[in-house]
Amino acid sequence: MSGQSDEFSGRLGLIFATIGAAIGTGNIWRFPRMVGANGGGTFLIPWLIFLFVWSIPLVIAEFAMGKRSRTGTIGTFRIFTGKRFAWMGLWTAWISTAIGFYYAVVAGWCLKYFQLGITGGLTGDGVDTVQVWNEFLQAPGQVIFFQFIVVVLTLAAISRGAKAIEKVNVLLMTSLMVLLFLTMFMALSMDMNDGTLDGALFMFTVDTSMMFDPEIWINALSQSAWSASAGMGMAITYAVYMRKDEDTTLNAFVMGLANNSISIIAGLTVLSAIFAVEADPLATVTGGSSAITFLALPEVFAQAPGGNVGPFLMMTGFFLALSFAALTSMISTVELCVRNFVDHGYERTRSVWLTGAAIFLFGLPSAVLWVKLDAEGVAFPQFLEVQDHIWGYGLMFSGLFIAFTIWRYGFLKWRAQVEAGEADPGLTGYLNVGVSAFRDDYINTGENDLWIGRWWDLLLYLAFPVLFSILMLSYFGSMIANTEDVWNPLNPNGLGIILAFWGVVAALFISFNKYLVQRPVFRNVPEGAEVDISLLPGGSDELVVQVGEVAPGFEHLGQSDAA
Amino acid sequence: MLDHDRSRQAYLRRTALLLALPLMLTLCAPIANAGVTQDGAGSTPEAVWSDDYINHIFPWADEDDRILQFKEYHTYDTVKQRLQRIAEDHPDLFEFHEGMNGGTNARGEQTTADAYEGWYYGHASPWVKVTKDVQGGEYNEFVGDNGNYEDRPDVLIVGNHHAREWMSVQVPMMQIEVIAFSVDNIGYDNDGDGRVDEDGWGDTNGDGVLDDDGDCLALEASYQDSNGDGTPCGPGDLGVDEDYSEQWIVDLLENRELYIVPMLNVDGNIYDREVFCPAPAWESCPSGGWRKNLRDNTFTGVTPLPDLQEEVDEDCDGVDLNRNYQFEWGAPLGATGPLIPGTCSPAEGELDGSNNDVYNGPVDDRDNDGDGQINEDHVDGKDDDADGVTDEDWWGGNSEPETKFIQDLTEMNDDTGDGASEFKSTLTHHSYSELILWPWGHCTDCESPDHAQLEYHGQQMADMTQYANLQSSSLYPTSGDFCDWHYGVHGSYCYTSEIGTAFHQHEDDIDHIAVRNLGLGFYIAEIADNPRERADMAIDNITQQNYLKQPDAIDIPDEGDIPIDVCVSDDFPYSAANSVVKWRQVKPSRLQSDYGPREWATTPWETVPMEVVGGNACTTSNGNGTLLRAMIPVGETATGEVHYKAQLETLGGSDFQYPADGEYYVLAVSYRASYGSTFGALVMFLLVAGTVWGGLGTALRTMLTGDDDEKVILADALLEEAVDA
Repeated sequence: MSGQSDEFSGRLGLIFATIGAAIGTGNIWRFPRMVGANGGGTFLIPWLIFLFVWSIPLVIAEFAMGKRSRTGTIGTFRIFTGKRFAWMGLWTAWISTAIGFYYAVVAGWCLKYFQLGITGGLTGDGVDTVQVWNEFLQAPGQVIFFQFIVVVLTLAAISRGAKAIEKVNVLLMTSLMVLLFLTMFMALSMDMNDGTLDGALFMFTVDTSMMFDPEIWINALSQSAWSASAGMGMAITYAVYMRKDEDTTLNAFVMGLANNSISIIAGLTVLSAIFAVEADPLATVTGGSSAITFLALPEVFAQAPGGNVGPFLMMTGFFLALSFAALTSMISTVELCVRNFVDHGYERTRSVWLTGAAIFLFGLPSAVLWVKLDAEGVAFPQFLEVQDHIWGYGLMFSGLFIAFTIWRYGFLKWRAQVEAGEADPGLTGYLNVGVSAFRDDYINTGENDLWIGRWWDLLLYLAFPVLFSILMLSYFGSMIANTEDVWNPLNPNGLGIILAFWGVVAALFISFNKYLVQRPVFRNVPEGAEVDISLLPGGSDELVVQVGEVAPGFEHLGQSDAA
Repeated sequence: MLDHDRSRQAYLRRTALLLALPLMLTLCAPIANAGVTQDGAGSTPEAVWSDDYINHIFPWADEDDRILQFKEYHTYDTVKQRLQRIAEDHPDLFEFHEGMNGGTNARGEQTTADAYEGWYYGHASPWVKVTKDVQGGEYNEFVGDNGNYEDRPDVLIVGNHHAREWMSVQVPMMQIEVIAFSVDNIGYDNDGDGRVDEDGWGDTNGDGVLDDDGDCLALEASYQDSNGDGTPCGPGDLGVDEDYSEQWIVDLLENRELYIVPMLNVDGNIYDREVFCPAPAWESCPSGGWRKNLRDNTFTGVTPLPDLQEEVDEDCDGVDLNRNYQFEWGAPLGATGPLIPGTCSPAEGELDGSNNDVYNGPVDDRDNDGDGQINEDHVDGKDDDADGVTDEDWWGGNSEPETKFIQDLTEMNDDTGDGASEFKSTLTHHSYSELILWPWGHCTDCESPDHAQLEYHGQQMADMTQYANLQSSSLYPTSGDFCDWHYGVHGSYCYTSEIGTAFHQHEDDIDHIAVRNLGLGFYIAEIADNPRERADMAIDNITQQNYLKQPDAIDIPDEGDIPIDVCVSDDFPYSAANSVVKWRQVKPSRLQSDYGPREWATTPWETVPMEVVGGNACTTSNGNGTLLRAMIPVGETATGEVHYKAQLETLGGSDFQYPADGEYYVLAVSYRASYGSTFGALVMFLLVAGTVWGGLGTALRTMLTGDDDEKVILADALLEEAVDA
């Protein structure tokens, strides 16, 4: 398999795969909560702005990097940032995989609720959704069973490479849209029963007095940063399978806009359904996300009109859509990890099984450990929450590393040109040559339908660092202000535990770096593609070879596969 | 080929290890469980509280700092260093001092800073001024302190008049620690049981039980008497008064100036510790110790008094500082000689010439008023010589640097410029005997004009500590003590606490005894606004009649501010202008995790004024009352909780908290605003949908048609993919 390159069969394959990666539970259960907690329509304005200011520019960068490097995250950072920085790719891969450990458990919950919908376990008389939820979460066998199903489905989807990933994503994403539309119309009709579309009204009404509330802007930024998968390395990974003439910029726009489209539909569905039924809908939607999804929504769906059919359709439709969203995100998560193994000379099947086993095994603690009851008597998996607390914020750094790569490349190129006497050594020279270097060399390559202008430089060089700082400072600031004993690494809600785990991981990865770069990396280059990397910091690395070539000193690897 | 295979295997194994190692990290996470509070109401301390709390490990210092953990006694040096450190760390709240600047004092004498330094070791007493914005307010040149505000009642708390009474240093030091810690830790869970501020000092809910939250009482009987004093769930036991409200302490400091002098008698304390009672003092001096200061009473005939070169003469030297204040100084009972300076005469029954422990200092034979007569008008509040001037030519007292410091501090700390002391309440810690004492001390079978009121507050403090509440002279008569002077001369409500069961209490007992007495300093500070009025109203059951309406009686309007009502007894002299309702919001937190329980964020307390709605508009337990109302500006879009509490002020300046000190009511609020207008929503929908879906359509179209090789339209492409799949 690794003797030849692997690619998507068509444009839509890539589009669906990347949309599948971007769309996950963040759209369907986090977005409606954020809209509810941040003033409804008011929230949508900054949320849309940050799509263009934060998410899309980062995805453009990721696509450009992956399409050129033709390797997963480790190889990409090794080539684009330099040999010393391969660990950044390892970090990116680790964060995504660590999230995958517990995400498989969460995806399992969604599947379980789909199954409950099918068997009518949520619609009968006197069903107490809290009881159903608590019983499920406190039954380790059940949770593990559904987690296992998710892992198996994911592995089945990806073990055969890009073309299979593509097909599964097309199927799941198309079904997801159909299902979501179905539930959205049912939810709207439920809400319309009293003559007003309260949920939709709330979701699209701007409260001008809240327009400049920094809290809302910060929350919108976080939603944009976390839900669209920007900076996670997903786009790098899928760009590896791009055909040679694929457009990177339009793909980024499609991915971002499709992500937000689904958010709107999901938001309308969830808010309309809750506003149709709940006496105090805002109190409901501002609860924890899993509380909305698994406690409030089943209760709401059960009250859908149409006898048994309405509730059945809403319940199964919604949870199947949610399961599909989670599954496609799971696929990209596993693929991100697998790609890195394949790059380093592993057989694909073996890598898939290794990653799958790891995801399952290391997800087990999240599935069963520390299942506690909160103050309101609702079960929650604290181990899983702690994992999310630690690794969720780590995503931000993956994004920062991508920006760092671009800054570094621009700086190096400007310096080289200054030495060669081709560029002005002053600030003007830097602004003319350095700042636009990455965009000139790797984004506007001539294969794009959409030419990217100076605005992209501005966003990456100015907006990104400012927004990154605001986001980190505001989150960590309020964590410090509101958490007791925040520095104690034993406090699962503190900052100490985050910094401790990050510190260990980063230190480990940085010290691994020198071993990592002694291994060859095999680039997945489609025939005839222009993928010159000689200008890049890691371009002269003789251990970076194309699939099918032989790395000096590692002759055995290439031969054995060819055999 | 074989070689290749083997090296390939080895290579793959190494790489796999390399790449898989980070996965192991996730397994390290279970260590994080240690910090999680255990569930369930167990019957052992471990099941309920944090280990730190159970072991009296206080949050303001490292576990192994024995002095700051109250496992070992403070010395002069550690007191001074700690006060300096706290003042450095909290410059807006604490100001460190040693003695005073001096100047012209209230009785016209010139003093300088060295007048307040101990005779022997030469140190002035270290102390702190504590109030919010201590660097603001007026500067007092004589005292040298900032943060003097006319509208903040002042409180004086003094420890260690008597050198050997070591617990009397520890208790005010703990009060200072608690204040400093509380400012930065509002809502701290002191006992680690997951609840906050659930058990303040004393019986806060009025049910007659000190353990307000019942956590100690829920323990197995064998755990209920943790301090071993024989009283289950009494003061100083684990779980009793253990989680006070930090917010209340911080609020109090906005309205009070605290003057805390933890170690008045520095000379004596150093001498007792370093010379008189070699460590451990509880073994070398099980029942005695050095009591007085280190005045040199021995007349050598060569050097003038005091004889600074001389070593301490343990049989003779020293003055009992708590007999050296001027009110009824030297009056007969208990005021044994030597009345003639420079002579050493033994105490009654100590014919072997051992020291006189209650020596009250030399007679003042100066003509203090310059009228040619000597000692014709003793300090007793009466015009003994009928010359129209009171107490102007005294017999003695106020002869020592330490008592001068207290007298001058009291008389020169005059924020309002009316010539009267600002200290409306004062507290001096002593040890031992487990008593709360109050004036008079100088006469037996006599009652002060404020007897009932003094007794009332004394009883409150006695209830808090389960100490006995006594008029001072009922124990034994004393003259020239701190409290007789403060009450007799300045009308200050003055209390003496007799802490613990030994002078040199064993160091194992410092922590729980200090905890037991911690509430006293806060109580005395609270009543400082108008102790007499507070006592009067409490005795007549007036303050208890006022009530703040409970959440279920609050009517949340569909729009606008939420009215919070207080019903005030007709007997309560309220000041509507100075009474307020305080409120804050608890909102969904930004840090809400996607998978965990609901998380909340709490806003700071805000204050809104009250207005009189009308008389006879509500009913108290004793008839009609006046309804006061505050409108709290909670937004119509708010969801979550509103916390509220009221502070009622009397015309006499006393502040009362409702529902109780450090407590508040919780009101659930829901979204009240309209969900929006159809037109506005439609415009916004079109805008958002246009941007997102329009943008998506455009991007897809450009992409799928822009390429010459591959002109397909979206629907065709979709169909094709679907068929493939």
